[in-house]
Amino acid sequence: MTELSHIRNFSIIAHIDHGKSTLADRFIQVCGGLTDREMAAQVLDSMDLERERGITIKAQSVTLRYKARDGIEYKLNMIDTPGHVDFSYEVSRSLFACEGALLVVDAGQGVEAQSVANCYTAIEQGLEVVPVLNKMDLPQAEPERVAQEIEDIIGIGAADAVRCSAKSGMGVEEVLEELIRLVPPPEGDIDGPLQALIIDSWFDNYLGVVSLVRVRQGTLRKGDKILIKSTGKAWSADRVGIFTPKPTDTGILGTGEVGFVVAGIKDIHGAPVGDTITHQKTPDTAPVPGFKKVKPQVYAGLFPVTSDDYDDFRDALEKLTLNDASLFFEPENSDALGLGFRCGFLGMLHMEIVQERLEREYDLDLITTAPTVVYEVLNKQNEILHVDNPSRLPDIGSIEEMREPIVEANILVPQEHLGNVIALCEEKRGVQKNMLFLSSQVQLTYELPMAEVVLDFFDRVKSASRGFASLDYHFNRFQAADLVRLDILINGERVDALALIVHRAIAHRRGRSVIEKMKELIPRQMFDIAIQAAIGNQVVSRQTVKALRKNVTAKCYGGDVSRKKKLLQKQKEGKKRMKQLGNVEVPQEAFLAVLRVDN
Amino acid sequence: MTRAAQTPSIATLPPLSLYIHVPWCVRKCPYCDFNSHAQKGDIPEQAYLNALMEDVTADIAGVQGRSIETVFIGGGTPSLMSPDFYRQLFERLSAHLQFAPDAEITLEANPGTVEQSRFEGFRAAGINRLSLGVQSFNPLHLQTLGRIHDDQAARNAINAARAAGFDNFNIDLMHGLPNQTVAQAVNDLEQALTFDPPHLSWYQLTLEPNTEFYSRPPDLPEDDALWDIIEAGGNLLRTNGYQDYEVSAWSKPGKASRHNLNYWEFGDYLAMGAGAHGKITFLDDNEIRRYWKTRQPEAYLNRIGSRTAGQQAIAVDELPLEFMMNALRLNRGVSEKLYTERTGLPLTGIAEILSAVRSEGLFEASRLQATPLGQRYLNSILERFL
Repeated sequence: MTELSHIRNFSIIAHIDHGKSTLADRFIQVCGGLTDREMAAQVLDSMDLERERGITIKAQSVTLRYKARDGIEYKLNMIDTPGHVDFSYEVSRSLFACEGALLVVDAGQGVEAQSVANCYTAIEQGLEVVPVLNKMDLPQAEPERVAQEIEDIIGIGAADAVRCSAKSGMGVEEVLEELIRLVPPPEGDIDGPLQALIIDSWFDNYLGVVSLVRVRQGTLRKGDKILIKSTGKAWSADRVGIFTPKPTDTGILGTGEVGFVVAGIKDIHGAPVGDTITHQKTPDTAPVPGFKKVKPQVYAGLFPVTSDDYDDFRDALEKLTLNDASLFFEPENSDALGLGFRCGFLGMLHMEIVQERLEREYDLDLITTAPTVVYEVLNKQNEILHVDNPSRLPDIGSIEEMREPIVEANILVPQEHLGNVIALCEEKRGVQKNMLFLSSQVQLTYELPMAEVVLDFFDRVKSASRGFASLDYHFNRFQAADLVRLDILINGERVDALALIVHRAIAHRRGRSVIEKMKELIPRQMFDIAIQAAIGNQVVSRQTVKALRKNVTAKCYGGDVSRKKKLLQKQKEGKKRMKQLGNVEVPQEAFLAVLRVDN
Repeated sequence: MTRAAQTPSIATLPPLSLYIHVPWCVRKCPYCDFNSHAQKGDIPEQAYLNALMEDVTADIAGVQGRSIETVFIGGGTPSLMSPDFYRQLFERLSAHLQFAPDAEITLEANPGTVEQSRFEGFRAAGINRLSLGVQSFNPLHLQTLGRIHDDQAARNAINAARAAGFDNFNIDLMHGLPNQTVAQAVNDLEQALTFDPPHLSWYQLTLEPNTEFYSRPPDLPEDDALWDIIEAGGNLLRTNGYQDYEVSAWSKPGKASRHNLNYWEFGDYLAMGAGAHGKITFLDDNEIRRYWKTRQPEAYLNRIGSRTAGQQAIAVDELPLEFMMNALRLNRGVSEKLYTERTGLPLTGIAEILSAVRSEGLFEASRLQATPLGQRYLNSILERFL
């Protein structure tokens, strides 16, 4: 066991491409965690999808041994944090295990909104934030300006911030020295009853549930009988150890340490994130104040293209939630699409990742319906309902008031793109709350309807600012709004899975653009297909997909049928990805037409 | 959809045809995906003749006592070969094969490669039907299509064929040509009709992989414009006494191509020549085998003995589709009896599909025949048999 004063627990807060993973890799290298050969590119981002998208989704940890200049060998626990706005909840979770955080800022680009938000979270949670100016090897590095910006925006001293280049290795050891100097060691009663906070749990095919824990007090040993506080269930700690980053059995985790425990738990809900582990013999130990369970922000229906896949789909979702506690799902029955699941996501990126994993890892063909936020409905009986599915919106006559979720968005944008970003916010029905001119960036605060923000706002902000603006937002409140349900009808039949809740002011325009897009996406068939957008009984727009005149192979050379056979096979394959609505075949993409609409 | 595996039980052999491929052309047309190769220098007629004979004698077992009912010599450009080539070919073939006394023997001819004396020579060699690859009478379209002949050469060729005694002939025409108007398409047909041809193949130009047009697509008429062409052209042909007996084939009564009918009715055919495909029913093994010949002319010439490059029995679960892909192209379809006769499978195996397409108005009640509506969406019907 390591003396408390020789332990440091920290996270790295950095914007997506400010070099966090490279710096983490450098730390591992400096501390000899992996041989060069094992040092696959950026070991912390382990999921394929994460690596492809260059982002970190799940919290991971690495324990490093660093021999400092004071001659002492320190145990440094680095807990990784995700870098995308969808996953800010996971950041707060990671920070719970730390006493400090490195704020890594690209010395050429300056502070980004995402980092600002995460820094505030860290400061709120009482962490020591250590600024680091990275990418000093680049000619465009402006450390003084960026240090000033950190002081202006975040309000922490940054004049003496370590300057480093994770890429070249320059200053990396200084970063570790500063970390040891500034971040306080963990505190806790090493002789007290065990109190270990579950930072993360995930499902491993061979081991069952693996939990990453931070021991607050006491000691956790291999073979201990442990108790999960919230479930009241007892288990035996089969394996106890640390990540170096390879899982390494140490058999013991002392106060202040971060590591893993495997206890034969088969279901992730058996070791919930934020829960506390204690010993079976000390059941009355108080739980560590955990963190709030995250609520999904975006909901969508997911349906298997063929109903035969329903059971496989349910199994796949259950397996996914083993590793992704923020994914929510419950059965949904759609008139148009049959049995599926209503799923809740942290944001659009989360939704895309889940969808991609289901299709890629579980080989499912899925239809995703238009994502929606949760609306609050006050009915005439003065009851408040939460609606996460437009087709479940109560009858309009029974509604007293509809309220939409409003977010507060913080945007950091270089001055030359300020006009574009303001125009975008106004277009999205935003209300400006604050505007702060900093040395080279402007900090904008807007209140915006969440529905306008979750879909493509992030991408739009990026393109309005040539990639330079950054965004962070959080839910603020529900607010009354003039909302209507926009229905889509195919050949006169209302398709529940296509309904949208939109602001009345843009309902007509949105209806028109959605059905125009659908007209492009639905292939011509044996008959005319009418696509209509309607509000209540009023049709606001109509398009027709004209019938295909014929579908015949003109020339079929009697001798060789193989190629024509392949054509038919291809045609049939294509239809497998379509859903039959009445007698109309609708391709998967058409259900997401609203996302493809050009603004 | 899964169908229980059945073992076919074929009681009788279907009629037997013979397909002979001649792989050379003066030049390759930009739309053509057949096995054709631009000719360089003289065509090695004698060597090809010897190769063909070596090839076919290796396949004689497939004949199983049948006579040859029809022969089709396709290409490439078979009319590039001399009449003497065909005289020798049929002379030598008759030592191995029995030809029915009324056998239909068709030769594909390119209007750019013939004059009357040549046609007379073909006729003397035993060829009794010609298929003339006219494609269009519009000089501009002929150019776009990369044809080696102009419209006048086409007219001359048809007249020469008639003068040489070919009463039974086909004119090949395409529609849906680059930027073609309805009037232009109808005009092509009208010009063909002035020759009173017993048979017209009038097929839509489609872009096939591995062709020049496929890699550099020309501007083809849209779906709706094509439909107007088909309606106008169809009306004209019907008014002039032609029947559309197959998707792209029109004929005077009794003048349908017997060779092609044998394809559509899932008959057998021997294959000879580079890249030719054959299909033979083997009663003893209760299976239908497809086989194909070496494609490259050089390789075909240089091989010894059989030139078969590959063969494969049609999988039992693919027999229904293969049968329907052919039979449903006939506007009158085929009898239900023929299905079992040819495939050896009971109709019950496809009963579910049949009742579905019948209830949707795509299929006639007691025959294996698409309704006029079904004929327009043949691929949608066929897909069900996959």
